Amino acid sequence: MVRFKNRYVLCEVVSEDPRCRQCIEDRALGLAVRDAIARVHGDYGLACCSISFTVKYLNAYTGTVLLRCRKDSYRLLCSALPFVRYLESRAQRYPCHLNTLHVGGTIRTCQKFLIQYNRTQLLRLLQNCTNEEERQCIQKSLLSCSLTEEQSQSGDEEEDDGTETD
Amino acid sequence: MAAAAFERRVLRRAAEHHYLRVRLELPDGGARPNAAQFKQLVVTALRELHGEVGAALPVDVLTYEEKSLSAILRVISSGLVKLWSALTLLGFYQNRRCAFRVLQVKPYISVSTCVIWQQ
Repeated sequence: MVRFKNRYVLCEVVSEDPRCRQCIEDRALGLAVRDAIARVHGDYGLACCSISFTVKYLNAYTGTVLLRCRKDSYRLLCSALPFVRYLESRAQRYPCHLNTLHVGGTIRTCQKFLIQYNRTQLLRLLQNCTNEEERQCIQKSLLSCSLTEEQSQSGDEEEDDGTETD
Repeated sequence: MAAAAFERRVLRRAAEHHYLRVRLELPDGGARPNAAQFKQLVVTALRELHGEVGAALPVDVLTYEEKSLSAILRVISSGLVKLWSALTLLGFYQNRRCAFRVLQVKPYISVSTCVIWQQ
């Protein structure tokens, strides 16, 4: 089969500044990554990586970003991600850095990894709770998770996770 | 059997460095770059096309003649394509039009470093 193969890079935006969450948007992030590639790999690298480059998914609450690029140039992209030092939007600059979590060939594999990763992160958050109040808060929000359609199955799954953490 | 001396150069393994003989063409009669400025020009060309990674490529200017603006550069073999492409695409030196002419590219610098079979 002859088709264009892509690589999807799952990253996490980590920032000390809480205001950075507001300016996590796809255009600002795309520009920041492109700028980093241009600095590190020059015109050639920028052109290679820009062929099929988009920000496919963005979650401002958790800071999760899914980037897409061609399979031939994903190494250029991955090597330039540590050089993203700030995000700029609306004339404001917030320092941050990107952690690469996973590189996959399809969005589905990245989603599977993300679900697994979020589960372990929730467990770790619960263990790192400093006071009882936070612990109760997290447990309550876990137990009350549900989707609007098809509630029974996914509601049961979330409840199982909630009881396992005790 | 050929009467004239026949030279066959056999290189047993891939050489680690490649050597380029280049000439810089500056058509206008302005100030000529000295050796340090020449090296700076090469590194700038690499930085424009290949970024910081390209600029960090170990390139040495082995000889440089300011009169004829010709030089011999040495580069690690894996970086030959990057260097050659960067030299090709360089167009300006201090806002003056210029061009690099690559005259020779060889994996050895002189005759003595390779095996010659003479018949």
